[in-house]
Amino acid sequence: MRKLSCRLFMVQAALIVLLGSSCKQNATLLQSDDPLHAGWNNYSLGEFDQAQFFFEQAVAEAPKDSDAQLTALYGLATTLNLRRPGEDPERAQELYRRILDTAPANDLAAWSLLALARMQHLVPVGDDPDYEQVYKAYQDVIDRYPDRLAAKEAFLYLNSILVATLKEPETRRALASLDEYVKNPSNTFLGPSWSLIAVGNTTLGNQERRFEAEVKSLETTEIDPTNPFTEFAYQYWNLATIAEFELGDFDQARLYYRKLIAEYPKDQKIYGAKQALQRMDAMEAKIREELKEAGNP
Amino acid sequence: MHKLFGFIKQYFALIVVFATFAWSATMIAVYRSQTTPPGAVILRLGHWQLEASVRDAIDLMAEEYRKIHPNVFLVQDAIPEGVYGQWVSTQLMGGTAPDILQVGANLPGNIWLSYYNRYFVPLSREVYRPNPYNKGTKLEDTKLRQTYKDGMRTGYVDEMQEYMSIPLSVFGVRIFYNKDLLKKLTGLDEAPRNYRDFLAACQKIESQTNEFGNFFVPIAASQYHVAMWEGNMFDPLTYGAIRRADFNRDGNVGNDELFVAFKTGRIDFDFPPYAAKFKMMREVTDHFQTGYTGLTRDEAVFLFAQQKAVFMTTGTWDARSLQQQAQGQFEVGVMDFPLPTKDDPFYGPVVEGPLFETPGTGFRFGITRTSRHPEVALDFMLFMASQKQNEELNRIIGWIPCIIDTQMDPFLEAFDPHLEGVYGAMNFILGGETTTKWEQMLSLYRVNQISYSDMVAQFSSFYLDRGLKDFLEQQRDWRRGMVQNERFLAGIRAKALAATGDEAVSAWVKYRALTKDRQVWSELNHSRQLQLMEKGPDAKAVGPYEYSPAVLAKIKERVKKSMTK
Repeated sequence: MRKLSCRLFMVQAALIVLLGSSCKQNATLLQSDDPLHAGWNNYSLGEFDQAQFFFEQAVAEAPKDSDAQLTALYGLATTLNLRRPGEDPERAQELYRRILDTAPANDLAAWSLLALARMQHLVPVGDDPDYEQVYKAYQDVIDRYPDRLAAKEAFLYLNSILVATLKEPETRRALASLDEYVKNPSNTFLGPSWSLIAVGNTTLGNQERRFEAEVKSLETTEIDPTNPFTEFAYQYWNLATIAEFELGDFDQARLYYRKLIAEYPKDQKIYGAKQALQRMDAMEAKIREELKEAGNP
Repeated sequence: MHKLFGFIKQYFALIVVFATFAWSATMIAVYRSQTTPPGAVILRLGHWQLEASVRDAIDLMAEEYRKIHPNVFLVQDAIPEGVYGQWVSTQLMGGTAPDILQVGANLPGNIWLSYYNRYFVPLSREVYRPNPYNKGTKLEDTKLRQTYKDGMRTGYVDEMQEYMSIPLSVFGVRIFYNKDLLKKLTGLDEAPRNYRDFLAACQKIESQTNEFGNFFVPIAASQYHVAMWEGNMFDPLTYGAIRRADFNRDGNVGNDELFVAFKTGRIDFDFPPYAAKFKMMREVTDHFQTGYTGLTRDEAVFLFAQQKAVFMTTGTWDARSLQQQAQGQFEVGVMDFPLPTKDDPFYGPVVEGPLFETPGTGFRFGITRTSRHPEVALDFMLFMASQKQNEELNRIIGWIPCIIDTQMDPFLEAFDPHLEGVYGAMNFILGGETTTKWEQMLSLYRVNQISYSDMVAQFSSFYLDRGLKDFLEQQRDWRRGMVQNERFLAGIRAKALAATGDEAVSAWVKYRALTKDRQVWSELNHSRQLQLMEKGPDAKAVGPYEYSPAVLAKIKERVKKSMTK
């Protein structure tokens, strides 16, 4: 027995020495004393079990109905809603509703109501959403929290799915709201709203209005200065080709092709833009020639 | 004595383990103490570049750095590419990773993403500050990000909205050739720039034998190299398809657009740019060595280094190694991909230019969270990314510097990217069996086991019959992407909700910009694709880059007005 204990002791000692030497640097990463912070950290890492654990801990530790508890509940609901696999939509909905009931004036209540609407929209693969219910859910967010960002986002989603039907009645319905919305320059999401107006007018075949809306969208696009991929090369190309092939307005087309060439000299479409400038010159020269031959000045 | 033997016998295995461990620990300690004085800051840097010039260049950078910071020493862990992924994984997970690690390859992108998240230090704050080692240069006050030829794009991880690595070099692909052998076999002093001359040179090369009676191979190739020939030389010929099939005028031909163009008869395999691509593929691959699709990269390099082949395509990453292997034996030249001229009887009408290239940076390094000296690691990286040192680093390695206004080795001038050029417009990848069929047919055609007409006959009917079904199947889970975006945006929103002051303003701008980019258009794009696939374009409509009669009338009216002014 003593021999066995001695052997076990030796083995343990060896393991401790070996493990100790290799684990010297094995610091635990991204730990935080604040369970809420730890919850979001783990959420962004995709460690949803850990995130859930920390959010539940935060809910339990925070004073009842306090802002801290609401924030933890929102984190927990978000995790249960969006984690894959292991999602629990019923419990997520319950938690979002609890936030709405507890503090209906809180900003998190608006985000919770939007999350409930999104759950109706983003259904599992293979299912189709009940669009009438989705429209209602987004409209509910807009009606109950008209001045919050969550409502502006709901407005955008509602109109984007109407425009996405590519059908005239739904498109007209969306355009009526969007045209009204863009009248207020202090509204958020103006750039994408103008883009949706442009798409709607494409469906209706109104190319002049489409072009105007695309120009407005370009002017009102909100830029994230920290993102190196933010650029307007595609917008310039889009405006130029609409002007050239839908409006026959070569002055506008030239303006945007030239902007593309000047501002984005390393863009993939430079060759296409230069070709377009030559094509338009050639077309105008040909027409002038024809007009002269026909006796025009 | 007897007792001692008994003890050794009883614990022999453990004693061996202990002795081995003690020996290796002592050796490491002795080695380290010889290279670094006690109390020194030791940075470890792990990478997969086994080329001698890379290790030499980094060592020289460390020496230069030590002149300013005498207490900092660098130890390199150069790990073979084949096991780098496993090595990085075990080091990161075990908490023993070097302070600085080369990132971005040898593991799938999603794995790197999870590693960035867990194990690397975000560098976004640093990229908006000037690089202190650019002091005294024109870039003294320029933010780090803007000192890069590509705006440091490759260091940015979109999914995290953070800069996670610092790139150090620019890469490109061209054709390397044996100048001496070319001269000997063809009489040419310089490589042919024109496609027909290139083919003629290849024919001349393969008609001759070496001293052992073996025929010379014009082009050394392998499964690794074939994609470079296709991407750089054959695919650009298909650009003309944009004018026929880019229905949404975004400047590219999507898989859905090409299918519709085939289905409606706007394009087929007789379309001259497509026929030209496959004709060129046949003409060029006929000069590769037999069985090239079954060979690896190294086998092609051996053929080239042993002077059995004249041409080989590869990237800047191999430039110095090839020069070193050729040293004292032959001179290595670099040439651009030879294009047909506009007056070429067959290719002339379809050739529009070289491949469009953008200066992409690589040789990227991140700083690990387990680093004991993250601030020193970052400082050393900034040192290597400074204008002067980056030029020197790349000069030694034989690569292209990634910092603006730097000089590069004249040998590499042929690697200057074509900022104006064309690109491929032929995408048959609709998913499922259609993709498999296309890959099978293409493979057979590449190795000359079927003719072009047989490939076309076998693939066309399959594509038209099966394509829509495979496309719809591929699109079935399109909404899954929206859920992933939703999850990502919820994390960004949480950061914005928790932020205060200027940070909150910036965080909300980011949130709104990302919401607009990622979540508003998915449904619309899906609807448009489905509509196009199921209904096709208006049968009476002109091509996407043609003027309809109504638009032509407007143009005439405008021109008329301008003439009367």
